[in-house]
Amino acid sequence: MNSAQSWIVVADDTAASGLVDLARSVGDEVVAVVAGRREVASSLASAVDRVLWLGEPDQAPVEAYGPAVAAVVAQATPRTVIGATSPGGRALLGAVAAALRVPVLAGVSALEADGDQVVVTRSVLGGIAEHRTAVQGGTTVVAVDPGGAVAGDGDLAPLEELAVTPLAATVTEVRPAAVAGADLGGARTVVGVGRGLKAREDVALVSDLAAALGGELACSRPLAEGVDWLPKERYIGISGQHIAPDLYLALGISGQLQHMVGVRGAKVIVAVNSDKNAPVFSQCDFGVVGDMYEVVPALTAALGTGS
Amino acid sequence: MKIVVAYKWAPNPQDAVVATTGEVDLSRAKPAVSEYDPVAFELARRLADATGGEVVGLTVGGPSIDTPLSRKAALSRGLDRLVVVADAELEDADGTRIATVLAAAVRAIGDVDLVLAGDSSIDVAQGQVPLTLAGVLGWLGLAAVSAVTAADGGLVVERSLPGGTTVVAVPTPAVLAATADAVVPRVAGMKDILGAAKKPVEVLDLAALDVPAPGATLATLATAKPAGGERTATIFDGSSPAGAAAQLVGALRQAGAL
Ligand SMILES: Cc1cc2nc3c(=O)[nH]c(=O)nc-3n(C[C@H](O)[C@H](O)[C@H](O)COP(=O)(O)OP(=O)(O)OC[C@H]3O[C@@H](n4cnc5c(N)ncnc54)[C@H](O)[C@@H]3O)c2cc1C
Repeated sequence: MNSAQSWIVVADDTAASGLVDLARSVGDEVVAVVAGRREVASSLASAVDRVLWLGEPDQAPVEAYGPAVAAVVAQATPRTVIGATSPGGRALLGAVAAALRVPVLAGVSALEADGDQVVVTRSVLGGIAEHRTAVQGGTTVVAVDPGGAVAGDGDLAPLEELAVTPLAATVTEVRPAAVAGADLGGARTVVGVGRGLKAREDVALVSDLAAALGGELACSRPLAEGVDWLPKERYIGISGQHIAPDLYLALGISGQLQHMVGVRGAKVIVAVNSDKNAPVFSQCDFGVVGDMYEVVPALTAALGTGS
Repeated sequence: MKIVVAYKWAPNPQDAVVATTGEVDLSRAKPAVSEYDPVAFELARRLADATGGEVVGLTVGGPSIDTPLSRKAALSRGLDRLVVVADAELEDADGTRIATVLAAAVRAIGDVDLVLAGDSSIDVAQGQVPLTLAGVLGWLGLAAVSAVTAADGGLVVERSLPGGTTVVAVPTPAVLAATADAVVPRVAGMKDILGAAKKPVEVLDLAALDVPAPGATLATLATAKPAGGERTATIFDGSSPAGAAAQLVGALRQAGAL
Protein backbone atom coordinates (compact mmCIF):
# COMPACT_ATOMS: atom_id res chain seq x y z
CA MET A 1 0.00 0.00 0.00
CA ASN A 2 1.16 3.51 -0.77
CA SER A 3 0.62 5.25 2.54
CA ALA A 4 2.02 8.55 1.36
CA GLN A 5 -0.85 9.02 -1.07
CA SER A 6 -4.48 10.01 -0.93
CA TRP A 7 -6.44 9.71 -4.15
CA ILE A 8 -9.61 11.47 -5.07
CA VAL A 9 -11.89 10.14 -7.78
CA VAL A 10 -13.81 12.92 -9.48
CA ALA A 11 -17.01 12.27 -11.40
CA ASP A 12 -17.24 15.12 -13.90
CA ASP A 13 -17.94 17.73 -11.25
CA THR A 14 -15.99 20.93 -10.54
CA ALA A 15 -17.44 20.89 -7.03
CA ALA A 16 -14.77 18.80 -5.33
CA SER A 17 -13.50 20.89 -2.41
CA GLY A 18 -14.92 18.34 0.04
CA LEU A 19 -12.80 15.64 -1.59
CA VAL A 20 -9.63 17.72 -1.79
CA ASP A 21 -9.87 19.00 1.79
CA LEU A 22 -10.37 15.53 3.25
CA ALA A 23 -7.54 14.10 1.14
CA ARG A 24 -5.23 16.87 2.32
CA SER A 25 -6.10 16.05 5.93
CA VAL A 26 -4.45 12.61 5.67
CA GLY A 27 -2.25 12.43 2.60
CA ASP A 28 1.09 13.96 1.84
CA GLU A 29 0.53 13.62 -1.87
CA VAL A 30 -2.94 14.07 -3.35
CA VAL A 31 -3.62 12.47 -6.71
CA ALA A 32 -6.83 13.17 -8.59
CA VAL A 33 -8.22 10.78 -11.17
CA VAL A 34 -10.82 12.57 -13.22
CA ALA A 35 -13.54 10.96 -15.27
CA GLY A 36 -15.20 13.79 -17.14
CA ARG A 37 -14.57 16.89 -19.18
CA ARG A 38 -11.15 18.53 -19.49
CA GLU A 39 -12.40 21.64 -17.67
CA VAL A 40 -13.07 19.52 -14.59
CA ALA A 41 -9.55 18.07 -14.71
CA SER A 42 -8.07 21.55 -15.23
CA SER A 43 -10.00 22.99 -12.30
CA LEU A 44 -8.16 20.57 -10.00
CA ALA A 45 -4.69 21.25 -11.33
CA SER A 46 -3.90 23.98 -8.81
CA ALA A 47 -5.35 22.12 -5.83
CA VAL A 48 -3.71 18.69 -6.02
CA ASP A 49 -0.28 17.27 -6.82
CA ARG A 50 -1.13 15.12 -9.81
CA VAL A 51 -4.13 15.00 -12.13
CA LEU A 52 -4.83 11.88 -14.14
CA TRP A 53 -7.43 12.62 -16.79
CA LEU A 54 -9.26 9.84 -18.59
CA GLY A 55 -10.05 11.90 -21.67
CA GLU A 56 -13.09 13.70 -23.08
CA PRO A 57 -16.19 11.59 -22.33
CA ASP A 58 -18.23 12.82 -25.32
CA GLN A 59 -21.54 10.99 -24.98
CA ALA A 60 -20.47 8.49 -22.33
CA PRO A 61 -22.02 8.83 -18.85
CA VAL A 62 -19.37 9.23 -16.15
CA GLU A 63 -20.33 5.84 -14.69
CA ALA A 64 -18.98 4.17 -17.83
CA TYR A 65 -15.49 5.01 -16.53
CA GLY A 66 -15.92 2.92 -13.38
CA PRO A 67 -13.72 0.00 -14.48
CA ALA A 68 -11.03 2.33 -15.90
CA VAL A 69 -10.90 4.39 -12.68
CA ALA A 70 -10.80 1.20 -10.63
CA ALA A 71 -7.90 -0.19 -12.65
CA VAL A 72 -5.82 2.99 -12.25
CA VAL A 73 -6.53 3.23 -8.52
CA ALA A 74 -5.98 -0.47 -7.87
CA GLN A 75 -2.56 -0.31 -9.47
CA ALA A 76 -1.48 2.44 -7.08
CA THR A 77 -3.30 1.03 -4.00
CA PRO A 78 -3.19 4.32 -2.12
CA ARG A 79 -3.92 4.43 1.59
CA THR A 80 -7.07 6.48 1.03
CA VAL A 81 -9.54 6.96 -1.82
CA ILE A 82 -12.15 9.70 -1.56
CA GLY A 83 -15.10 10.31 -3.86
CA ALA A 84 -18.41 12.14 -3.89
CA THR A 85 -21.78 10.91 -2.64
CA SER A 86 -23.37 11.97 -5.95
CA PRO A 87 -24.73 9.20 -8.22
CA GLY A 88 -21.64 9.39 -10.44
CA GLY A 89 -19.28 9.59 -7.47
CA ARG A 90 -20.80 6.52 -5.87
CA ALA A 91 -20.50 4.59 -9.11
CA LEU A 92 -16.77 5.32 -9.39
CA LEU A 93 -16.27 4.47 -5.72
CA GLY A 94 -18.25 1.26 -6.19
CA ALA A 95 -15.93 0.19 -8.98
CA VAL A 96 -12.86 1.03 -6.88
CA ALA A 97 -14.26 -0.75 -3.82
CA ALA A 98 -15.07 -3.81 -5.93
CA ALA A 99 -11.56 -3.95 -7.34
CA LEU A 100 -9.93 -3.59 -3.93
CA ARG A 101 -12.67 -5.60 -2.13
CA VAL A 102 -12.92 -2.96 0.60
CA PRO A 103 -15.93 -1.16 2.09
CA VAL A 104 -17.09 2.32 1.11
CA LEU A 105 -17.71 4.38 4.24
CA ALA A 106 -20.08 7.37 4.23
CA GLY A 107 -21.24 9.93 6.78
CA VAL A 108 -17.57 10.71 7.38
CA SER A 109 -16.58 13.69 9.53
CA ALA A 110 -12.85 13.06 9.97
CA LEU A 111 -9.97 10.82 8.92
CA GLU A 112 -6.83 10.16 10.94
CA ALA A 113 -3.95 8.31 9.33
CA ASP A 114 -1.54 6.13 11.25
CA GLY A 115 0.89 4.29 9.00
CA ASP A 116 -1.09 2.09 6.64
CA GLN A 117 -4.19 2.31 8.78
CA VAL A 118 -6.83 5.02 8.66
CA VAL A 119 -9.32 5.71 11.42
CA VAL A 120 -12.62 7.06 10.19
CA THR A 121 -15.10 9.02 12.31
CA ARG A 122 -18.51 8.53 10.77
CA SER A 123 -22.18 8.43 11.53
CA VAL A 124 -23.93 5.10 11.08
CA LEU A 125 -27.48 3.78 10.69
CA GLY A 126 -28.97 6.99 9.40
CA GLY A 127 -27.09 9.04 11.97
CA ILE A 128 -28.35 7.47 15.20
CA ALA A 129 -24.79 6.71 16.34
CA GLU A 130 -21.24 7.78 15.64
CA HIS A 131 -18.39 5.32 15.21
CA ARG A 132 -14.64 5.57 15.14
CA THR A 133 -13.75 2.79 12.76
CA ALA A 134 -10.31 1.52 11.84
CA VAL A 135 -9.94 0.16 8.32
CA GLN A 136 -7.43 -2.65 8.61
CA GLY A 137 -5.46 -4.46 5.95
CA GLY A 138 -6.57 -2.46 2.93
CA THR A 139 -7.33 0.88 1.35
CA THR A 140 -9.81 3.20 3.10
CA VAL A 141 -12.52 4.27 0.65
CA VAL A 142 -14.92 7.03 1.66
CA ALA A 143 -17.81 8.91 0.08
CA VAL A 144 -18.25 12.55 1.13
CA ASP A 145 -20.28 15.57 0.17
CA PRO A 146 -18.49 17.07 -2.86
CA GLY A 147 -18.53 20.58 -1.38
CA GLY A 148 -17.93 23.55 -3.65
CA ALA A 149 -15.38 24.74 -6.18
CA VAL A 150 -11.79 23.90 -5.27
CA ALA A 151 -9.38 26.60 -4.19
CA GLY A 152 -5.86 26.26 -5.51
CA ASP A 153 -2.44 27.48 -4.41
CA GLY A 154 -1.43 28.67 -7.85
CA ASP A 155 0.99 25.80 -8.52
CA LEU A 156 -0.33 23.91 -11.52
CA ALA A 157 0.00 20.14 -11.62
CA PRO A 158 0.43 18.81 -15.15
CA LEU A 159 -2.58 17.04 -16.71
CA GLU A 160 -1.59 13.44 -17.39
CA GLU A 161 -3.97 12.09 -19.98
CA LEU A 162 -4.60 8.35 -19.94
CA ALA A 163 -6.12 6.54 -22.89
CA VAL A 164 -8.96 4.36 -21.62
CA THR A 165 -12.10 2.83 -23.07
CA PRO A 166 -15.33 3.47 -21.18
CA LEU A 167 -18.09 0.88 -21.00
CA ALA A 168 -20.59 1.14 -23.85
CA ALA A 169 -23.47 3.53 -23.06
CA THR A 170 -24.58 6.75 -24.71
CA VAL A 171 -26.21 9.84 -23.29
CA THR A 172 -28.77 10.69 -25.97
CA GLU A 173 -30.53 13.61 -24.34
CA VAL A 174 -29.96 16.14 -21.57
CA ARG A 175 -32.80 18.29 -20.27
CA PRO A 176 -31.23 20.79 -17.84
CA ALA A 177 -33.18 21.56 -14.69
CA ALA A 178 -34.91 24.92 -14.81
CA VAL A 179 -34.38 25.86 -11.19
CA ALA A 180 -31.15 27.27 -9.87
CA GLY A 181 -29.65 25.51 -6.87
CA ALA A 182 -30.34 27.02 -3.47
CA ASP A 183 -27.74 28.01 -0.93
CA LEU A 184 -29.33 26.37 2.07
CA GLY A 185 -25.94 25.77 3.65
CA GLY A 186 -25.20 29.49 3.98
CA ALA A 187 -28.61 30.51 5.33
CA ARG A 188 -28.99 31.61 8.95
CA THR A 189 -32.67 30.74 8.99
CA VAL A 190 -34.28 27.86 7.12
CA VAL A 191 -38.01 27.12 6.97
CA GLY A 192 -38.75 23.49 6.20
CA VAL A 193 -42.15 22.19 5.23
CA GLY A 194 -43.44 18.63 5.06
CA ARG A 195 -46.46 16.62 4.15
CA GLY A 196 -48.60 18.66 6.51
CA LEU A 197 -48.91 20.87 3.43
CA LYS A 198 -51.97 19.84 1.46
CA ALA A 199 -51.52 21.45 -1.95
CA ARG A 200 -48.86 22.95 -4.17
CA GLU A 201 -50.58 26.37 -4.01
CA ASP A 202 -50.09 26.39 -0.27
CA VAL A 203 -46.31 26.63 -0.62
CA ALA A 204 -46.97 30.40 -0.66
CA LEU A 205 -48.06 30.17 2.97
CA VAL A 206 -44.64 28.93 3.93
CA SER A 207 -42.62 31.10 1.57
CA ASP A 208 -44.34 34.14 3.08
CA LEU A 209 -43.04 33.09 6.48
CA ALA A 210 -39.58 32.43 5.06
CA ALA A 211 -39.60 35.92 3.55
CA ALA A 212 -40.71 37.48 6.85
CA LEU A 213 -37.80 35.70 8.55
CA GLY A 214 -35.33 36.49 5.79
CA GLY A 215 -34.74 32.74 5.48
CA GLU A 216 -34.54 30.06 2.83
CA LEU A 217 -37.32 27.63 2.04
CA ALA A 218 -36.64 23.90 2.41
CA CYS A 219 -38.69 20.72 2.73
CA SER A 220 -38.83 17.05 3.61
CA ARG A 221 -38.04 14.51 0.93
CA PRO A 222 -41.64 13.59 -0.02
CA LEU A 223 -42.34 17.20 -1.01
CA ALA A 224 -39.46 17.20 -3.46
CA GLU A 225 -39.73 13.64 -4.68
CA GLY A 226 -43.13 12.04 -4.14
CA VAL A 227 -44.68 15.27 -5.39
CA ASP A 228 -42.38 17.88 -6.86
CA TRP A 229 -43.73 20.94 -5.08
CA LEU A 230 -40.20 22.07 -4.24
CA PRO A 231 -36.94 21.39 -6.10
CA LYS A 232 -34.84 18.40 -5.02
CA GLU A 233 -31.99 20.71 -4.04
CA ARG A 234 -34.15 21.94 -1.20
CA TYR A 235 -34.90 18.78 0.68
CA ILE A 236 -33.12 18.17 3.93
CA GLY A 237 -31.92 14.93 5.45
CA ILE A 238 -29.75 11.91 5.14
CA SER A 239 -30.10 11.75 1.34
CA GLY A 240 -30.44 15.51 0.90
CA GLN A 241 -28.91 18.62 2.40
CA HIS A 242 -27.23 18.75 5.80
CA ILE A 243 -27.54 22.20 7.30
CA ALA A 244 -26.65 23.93 10.56
CA PRO A 245 -28.53 27.25 10.60
CA ASP A 246 -29.17 29.38 13.67
CA LEU A 247 -32.87 28.65 13.32
CA TYR A 248 -34.74 25.81 11.63
CA LEU A 249 -38.51 25.60 11.50
CA ALA A 250 -40.10 22.22 10.78
CA LEU A 251 -43.67 22.87 9.63
CA GLY A 252 -45.94 19.85 9.13
CA ILE A 253 -42.91 17.55 9.35
CA SER A 254 -43.30 14.42 11.49
CA GLY A 255 -39.64 14.26 12.54
CA GLN A 256 -38.52 10.99 11.01
CA LEU A 257 -34.87 10.25 11.66
CA GLN A 258 -33.96 10.48 7.98
CA HIS A 259 -35.08 14.09 7.91
CA MET A 260 -33.93 15.27 11.33
CA VAL A 261 -30.35 14.06 10.92
CA GLY A 262 -29.97 16.83 8.34
CA VAL A 263 -30.70 19.59 10.89
CA ARG A 264 -29.04 18.15 13.96
CA GLY A 265 -26.49 20.97 13.86
CA ALA A 266 -29.15 23.70 13.97
CA LYS A 267 -28.87 25.97 17.01
CA VAL A 268 -32.61 26.31 17.56
CA ILE A 269 -35.29 24.05 16.11
CA VAL A 270 -38.97 24.97 16.06
CA ALA A 271 -41.72 22.52 15.18
CA VAL A 272 -45.32 23.18 14.21
CA ASN A 273 -47.42 20.06 14.03
CA SER A 274 -51.07 19.22 14.62
CA ASP A 275 -50.18 15.87 16.22
CA LYS A 276 -48.92 16.40 19.76
CA ASN A 277 -47.32 12.95 19.66
CA ALA A 278 -45.28 13.63 16.50
CA PRO A 279 -41.65 12.51 17.03
CA VAL A 280 -40.48 15.98 16.01
CA PHE A 281 -41.54 17.34 19.42
CA SER A 282 -38.79 15.42 21.19
CA GLN A 283 -36.24 16.79 18.74
CA CYS A 284 -37.01 20.52 18.87
CA ASP A 285 -36.46 23.42 21.24
CA PHE A 286 -39.83 25.11 20.75
CA GLY A 287 -43.01 23.51 19.53
CA VAL A 288 -46.47 24.65 18.62
CA VAL A 289 -49.15 21.98 18.64
CA GLY A 290 -51.61 23.23 16.10
CA ASP A 291 -52.74 23.48 12.52
CA MET A 292 -49.96 24.95 10.41
CA TYR A 293 -52.60 26.56 8.20
CA GLU A 294 -53.51 28.73 11.19
CA VAL A 295 -50.22 28.96 13.04
CA VAL A 296 -47.97 29.80 10.08
CA PRO A 297 -49.92 32.90 8.94
CA ALA A 298 -50.19 34.02 12.56
CA LEU A 299 -46.43 33.67 12.87
CA THR A 300 -45.84 35.65 9.69
CA ALA A 301 -48.15 38.34 11.01
CA ALA A 302 -46.48 38.39 14.43
CA LEU A 303 -43.08 38.89 12.80
CA GLY A 304 -44.44 41.58 10.51
CA THR A 305 -45.81 43.68 13.33
CA GLY A 306 -42.67 43.25 15.34
CA SER A 307 -44.64 42.20 18.38
CA MET B 1 -35.63 -10.19 -20.26
CA LYS B 2 -34.37 -11.78 -17.05
CA ILE B 3 -34.42 -9.22 -14.26
CA VAL B 4 -33.02 -9.62 -10.77
CA VAL B 5 -34.21 -7.23 -8.08
CA ALA B 6 -31.66 -6.91 -5.29
CA TYR B 7 -33.49 -5.83 -2.15
CA LYS B 8 -32.93 -5.64 1.57
CA TRP B 9 -34.83 -6.97 4.57
CA ALA B 10 -33.92 -4.26 7.03
CA PRO B 11 -34.95 -2.65 10.32
CA ASN B 12 -35.94 1.02 10.56
CA PRO B 13 -33.31 2.73 12.73
CA GLN B 14 -36.07 5.17 13.79
CA ASP B 15 -37.19 2.38 16.15
CA ALA B 16 -33.73 1.64 17.55
CA VAL B 17 -32.77 2.33 21.13
CA VAL B 18 -29.48 4.20 21.32
CA ALA B 19 -27.63 4.20 24.63
CA THR B 20 -25.72 7.27 25.78
CA THR B 21 -22.59 5.32 24.86
CA GLY B 22 -23.76 5.18 21.25
CA GLU B 23 -24.49 1.48 21.45
CA VAL B 24 -27.45 0.62 19.21
CA ASP B 25 -30.15 -1.87 20.14
CA LEU B 26 -32.21 -2.78 17.10
CA SER B 27 -34.18 -5.57 18.76
CA ARG B 28 -37.34 -3.44 18.86
CA ALA B 29 -37.02 -2.35 15.24
CA LYS B 30 -39.05 -4.79 13.18
CA PRO B 31 -37.41 -5.58 9.86
CA ALA B 32 -39.34 -5.17 6.62
CA VAL B 33 -38.70 -4.89 2.91
CA SER B 34 -36.69 -1.67 2.88
CA GLU B 35 -38.89 1.35 2.16
CA TYR B 36 -37.80 2.15 -1.38
CA ASP B 37 -37.25 -1.38 -2.65
CA PRO B 38 -40.86 -1.93 -3.77
CA VAL B 39 -40.20 0.79 -6.35
CA ALA B 40 -37.60 -1.54 -7.89
CA PHE B 41 -40.03 -4.50 -7.71
CA GLU B 42 -42.63 -2.48 -9.60
CA LEU B 43 -40.21 -1.21 -12.25
CA ALA B 44 -38.98 -4.76 -12.78
CA ARG B 45 -42.49 -6.19 -13.05
CA ARG B 46 -43.56 -3.62 -15.63
CA LEU B 47 -40.41 -4.10 -17.68
CA ALA B 48 -40.68 -7.89 -17.52
CA ASP B 49 -44.35 -7.78 -18.54
CA ALA B 50 -43.52 -5.50 -21.45
CA THR B 51 -40.69 -7.72 -22.67
CA GLY B 52 -42.04 -11.13 -21.70
CA GLY B 53 -39.52 -11.84 -18.98
CA GLU B 54 -38.97 -13.06 -15.48
CA VAL B 55 -38.42 -11.16 -12.20
CA VAL B 56 -36.21 -12.85 -9.62
CA GLY B 57 -35.94 -11.32 -6.14
CA LEU B 58 -32.52 -11.58 -4.52
CA THR B 59 -31.53 -10.77 -0.98
CA VAL B 60 -28.47 -11.59 1.10
CA GLY B 61 -27.71 -11.10 4.77
CA GLY B 62 -27.76 -12.78 8.17
CA PRO B 63 -30.02 -15.72 9.07
CA SER B 64 -32.86 -13.41 10.18
CA ILE B 65 -33.56 -12.25 6.61
CA ASP B 66 -35.06 -15.62 5.68
CA THR B 67 -38.35 -16.24 7.47
CA PRO B 68 -41.81 -17.17 6.21
CA LEU B 69 -42.82 -13.54 6.76
CA SER B 70 -39.86 -12.07 4.86
CA ARG B 71 -40.41 -14.48 1.97
CA LYS B 72 -44.08 -13.60 1.73
CA ALA B 73 -43.41 -9.87 1.99
CA ALA B 74 -41.13 -9.98 -1.03
CA LEU B 75 -42.99 -12.55 -3.11
CA SER B 76 -46.33 -10.72 -2.79
CA ARG B 77 -44.88 -7.71 -4.59
CA GLY B 78 -44.70 -8.90 -8.17
CA LEU B 79 -41.75 -11.31 -8.11
CA ASP B 80 -41.85 -14.63 -9.96
CA ARG B 81 -39.41 -16.30 -7.62
CA LEU B 82 -36.93 -15.61 -4.87
CA VAL B 83 -33.27 -16.40 -4.28
CA VAL B 84 -31.86 -15.99 -0.77
CA VAL B 85 -28.37 -16.20 0.70
CA ALA B 86 -28.72 -16.13 4.50
CA ASP B 87 -25.65 -16.89 6.55
CA ALA B 88 -24.45 -15.95 10.03
CA GLU B 89 -21.20 -14.82 8.49
CA LEU B 90 -23.11 -12.03 6.72
CA GLU B 91 -24.80 -10.71 9.88
CA ASP B 92 -23.01 -7.37 10.06
CA ALA B 93 -21.33 -7.53 6.68
CA ASP B 94 -20.26 -4.25 5.10
CA GLY B 95 -21.74 -3.12 1.79
CA THR B 96 -18.88 -4.35 -0.35
CA ARG B 97 -19.08 -7.82 1.16
CA ILE B 98 -22.84 -7.83 0.49
CA ALA B 99 -22.24 -6.65 -3.08
CA THR B 100 -19.67 -9.39 -3.62
CA VAL B 101 -22.13 -12.05 -2.46
CA LEU B 102 -24.93 -10.50 -4.54
CA ALA B 103 -22.64 -10.65 -7.58
CA ALA B 104 -21.85 -14.30 -6.96
CA ALA B 105 -25.57 -15.03 -6.66
CA VAL B 106 -26.34 -13.10 -9.86
CA ARG B 107 -23.76 -15.24 -11.64
CA ALA B 108 -25.25 -18.38 -10.10
CA ILE B 109 -28.74 -17.36 -11.30
CA GLY B 110 -27.22 -16.98 -14.74
CA ASP B 111 -28.16 -15.16 -17.96
CA VAL B 112 -29.28 -12.07 -16.07
CA ASP B 113 -29.93 -9.04 -18.29
CA LEU B 114 -30.61 -6.48 -15.63
CA VAL B 115 -30.26 -6.00 -11.89
CA LEU B 116 -32.60 -3.41 -10.40
CA ALA B 117 -32.36 -1.95 -6.91
CA GLY B 118 -34.01 0.75 -4.83
CA ASP B 119 -32.66 4.21 -4.08
CA SER B 120 -31.04 3.41 -0.74
CA SER B 121 -31.76 1.20 2.24
CA ILE B 122 -33.65 2.43 5.26
CA ASP B 123 -30.89 1.47 7.70
CA VAL B 124 -27.61 2.30 5.95
CA ALA B 125 -29.10 4.88 3.54
CA GLN B 126 -25.94 5.14 1.46
CA GLY B 127 -27.13 4.06 -2.00
CA GLN B 128 -23.82 2.31 -2.51
CA VAL B 129 -24.43 -1.44 -2.72
CA PRO B 130 -25.97 -1.58 -6.24
CA LEU B 131 -23.10 0.48 -7.63
CA THR B 132 -20.48 -1.65 -5.92
CA LEU B 133 -22.33 -4.69 -7.26
CA ALA B 134 -21.98 -3.24 -10.77
CA GLY B 135 -18.27 -2.84 -10.05
CA VAL B 136 -17.92 -6.48 -9.00
CA LEU B 137 -19.80 -7.69 -12.06
CA GLY B 138 -17.91 -5.31 -14.35
CA TRP B 139 -21.23 -3.98 -15.65
CA LEU B 140 -22.41 -0.43 -16.05
CA GLY B 141 -24.12 0.78 -12.87
CA LEU B 142 -26.41 3.81 -12.90
CA ALA B 143 -28.22 5.31 -9.93
CA ALA B 144 -30.99 7.95 -9.95
CA VAL B 145 -33.00 6.03 -12.56
CA SER B 146 -36.49 7.46 -12.90
CA ALA B 147 -37.69 5.35 -15.85
CA VAL B 148 -36.53 2.38 -17.90
CA THR B 149 -37.85 0.83 -21.09
CA ALA B 150 -36.57 -1.87 -23.39
CA ALA B 151 -35.24 -0.90 -26.79
CA ASP B 152 -33.70 -3.13 -29.45
CA GLY B 153 -30.69 -4.80 -27.88
CA GLY B 154 -30.72 -2.74 -24.71
CA LEU B 155 -32.45 -0.27 -22.46
CA VAL B 156 -33.44 3.36 -22.58
CA VAL B 157 -32.86 4.78 -19.14
CA GLU B 158 -34.07 8.12 -17.85
CA ARG B 159 -32.18 9.61 -14.93
CA SER B 160 -33.05 12.38 -12.55
CA LEU B 161 -29.73 14.06 -11.76
CA PRO B 162 -28.96 17.30 -9.91
CA GLY B 163 -28.34 19.13 -13.20
CA GLY B 164 -31.51 17.89 -14.85
CA THR B 165 -32.90 14.85 -16.60
CA THR B 166 -30.73 12.76 -18.89
CA VAL B 167 -31.60 9.88 -21.19
CA VAL B 168 -29.02 7.12 -21.65
CA ALA B 169 -28.97 4.24 -24.12
CA VAL B 170 -27.61 1.31 -22.11
CA PRO B 171 -26.67 -2.11 -23.44
CA THR B 172 -27.42 -5.07 -21.19
CA PRO B 173 -26.34 -6.43 -18.81
CA ALA B 174 -26.47 -3.49 -16.43
CA VAL B 175 -27.29 -2.55 -12.84
CA LEU B 176 -29.81 0.25 -12.26
CA ALA B 177 -30.85 1.85 -8.97
CA ALA B 178 -34.21 3.63 -9.06
CA THR B 179 -35.13 6.99 -7.59
CA ALA B 180 -37.51 6.86 -4.63
CA ASP B 181 -40.37 8.11 -6.81
CA ALA B 182 -39.72 6.41 -10.15
CA VAL B 183 -43.05 4.58 -9.99
CA VAL B 184 -45.71 4.10 -7.36
CA PRO B 185 -45.46 0.47 -6.24
CA ARG B 186 -48.63 -1.59 -6.20
CA VAL B 187 -50.09 -2.49 -2.84
CA ALA B 188 -50.09 -6.24 -2.26
CA GLY B 189 -53.67 -7.53 -2.16
CA MET B 190 -55.01 -10.71 -0.58
CA LYS B 191 -54.53 -12.57 -3.87
CA ASP B 192 -50.88 -11.52 -4.07
CA ILE B 193 -50.26 -12.58 -0.49
CA LEU B 194 -51.90 -15.98 -1.00
CA GLY B 195 -50.10 -16.42 -4.33
CA ALA B 196 -46.77 -15.65 -2.67
CA ALA B 197 -46.88 -18.93 -0.75
CA LYS B 198 -46.83 -20.90 -4.01
CA LYS B 199 -43.86 -19.15 -5.60
CA PRO B 200 -40.48 -20.91 -5.63
CA VAL B 201 -37.73 -19.94 -3.21
CA GLU B 202 -34.16 -21.04 -3.79
CA VAL B 203 -31.69 -20.89 -0.92
CA LEU B 204 -28.09 -20.59 -2.05
CA ASP B 205 -25.36 -21.78 0.27
CA LEU B 206 -22.77 -19.06 0.85
CA ALA B 207 -19.98 -21.63 1.00
CA ALA B 208 -20.93 -22.93 -2.43
CA LEU B 209 -20.73 -19.48 -4.03
CA ASP B 210 -17.55 -18.14 -5.53
CA VAL B 211 -16.95 -15.17 -3.22
CA PRO B 212 -13.45 -13.70 -2.90
CA ALA B 213 -12.12 -12.85 0.56
CA PRO B 214 -12.44 -9.23 1.74
CA GLY B 215 -9.47 -6.92 1.13
CA ALA B 216 -9.89 -5.05 4.42
CA THR B 217 -11.71 -5.41 7.70
CA LEU B 218 -13.42 -2.81 9.85
CA ALA B 219 -12.78 -2.55 13.58
CA THR B 220 -15.01 -0.34 15.71
CA LEU B 221 -12.77 1.54 18.13
CA ALA B 222 -15.39 3.69 19.82
CA THR B 223 -19.07 4.56 19.64
CA ALA B 224 -20.88 7.72 20.66
CA LYS B 225 -24.35 9.16 20.60
CA PRO B 226 -24.39 12.30 18.47
CA ALA B 227 -25.38 15.58 20.11
CA GLY B 228 -28.29 17.66 18.89
CA GLY B 229 -30.71 14.81 18.26
CA GLU B 230 -32.83 14.80 21.37
CA ARG B 231 -34.00 18.17 22.66
CA THR B 232 -36.41 19.26 25.35
CA ALA B 233 -39.05 21.48 23.86
CA THR B 234 -41.07 24.30 25.29
CA ILE B 235 -44.52 23.64 23.85
CA PHE B 236 -47.12 26.30 23.00
CA ASP B 237 -50.77 25.53 22.43
CA GLY B 238 -51.70 26.42 18.87
CA SER B 239 -55.45 26.30 19.42
CA SER B 240 -55.08 30.04 19.80
CA PRO B 241 -52.82 30.65 16.78
CA ALA B 242 -52.19 34.36 17.38
CA GLY B 243 -51.35 33.74 21.03
CA ALA B 244 -49.02 30.86 20.24
CA ALA B 245 -47.33 32.88 17.49
CA ALA B 246 -46.71 35.81 19.83
CA GLN B 247 -45.34 33.50 22.53
CA LEU B 248 -43.08 31.75 20.04
CA VAL B 249 -41.74 34.98 18.57
CA GLY B 250 -41.04 36.23 22.08
CA ALA B 251 -39.25 33.05 23.03
CA LEU B 252 -37.16 33.08 19.84
CA ARG B 253 -36.16 36.69 20.45
CA GLN B 254 -35.14 35.80 23.96
CA ALA B 255 -33.12 32.84 22.69
CA GLY B 256 -31.37 35.14 20.23
CA ALA B 257 -32.65 33.13 17.27
CA LEU B 258 -34.34 36.10 15.58
C1 LIG C 1 -33.39 5.50 2.75
C2 LIG C 1 -34.28 6.64 3.10
C3 LIG C 1 -33.78 7.91 3.01
C4 LIG C 1 -34.58 8.98 3.33
N1 LIG C 1 -34.04 10.22 3.24
C5 LIG C 1 -34.78 11.29 3.60
C6 LIG C 1 -34.22 12.60 3.59
O1 LIG C 1 -33.05 12.82 3.26
N2 LIG C 1 -35.01 13.63 3.95
C7 LIG C 1 -36.32 13.47 4.35
O2 LIG C 1 -36.98 14.46 4.67
N3 LIG C 1 -36.87 12.24 4.35
C8 LIG C 1 -36.14 11.15 3.99
N4 LIG C 1 -36.72 9.93 3.99
C9 LIG C 1 -38.15 9.81 4.26
C10 LIG C 1 -38.46 9.84 5.75
O3 LIG C 1 -38.33 8.54 6.27
C11 LIG C 1 -39.90 10.31 5.98
O4 LIG C 1 -40.79 9.50 5.26
C12 LIG C 1 -40.13 11.76 5.58
O5 LIG C 1 -39.13 12.59 6.11
C13 LIG C 1 -41.48 12.21 6.09
O6 LIG C 1 -41.76 13.50 5.59
P1 LIG C 1 -42.83 14.41 6.33
O7 LIG C 1 -42.43 14.59 7.73
O8 LIG C 1 -42.97 15.63 5.50
O9 LIG C 1 -44.17 13.59 6.17
P2 LIG C 1 -45.02 12.74 7.25
O10 LIG C 1 -44.15 11.79 7.97
O11 LIG C 1 -46.18 12.26 6.51
O12 LIG C 1 -45.44 13.84 8.29
C14 LIG C 1 -46.36 14.85 8.04
C15 LIG C 1 -46.63 15.54 9.37
O13 LIG C 1 -47.47 16.65 9.16
C16 LIG C 1 -48.37 16.75 10.23
N5 LIG C 1 -49.53 17.51 9.77
C17 LIG C 1 -50.50 17.13 8.92
N6 LIG C 1 -51.35 18.13 8.71
C18 LIG C 1 -50.93 19.18 9.43
C19 LIG C 1 -51.39 20.50 9.63
N7 LIG C 1 -52.49 20.97 9.02
N8 LIG C 1 -50.69 21.29 10.45
C20 LIG C 1 -49.59 20.86 11.09
N9 LIG C 1 -49.10 19.62 10.93
C21 LIG C 1 -49.76 18.80 10.11
C22 LIG C 1 -48.67 15.34 10.62
O14 LIG C 1 -49.10 15.27 11.98
C23 LIG C 1 -47.33 14.66 10.39
O15 LIG C 1 -46.56 14.64 11.59
C24 LIG C 1 -35.93 8.80 3.70
C25 LIG C 1 -36.43 7.53 3.78
C26 LIG C 1 -35.63 6.44 3.48
C27 LIG C 1 -36.20 5.08 3.56
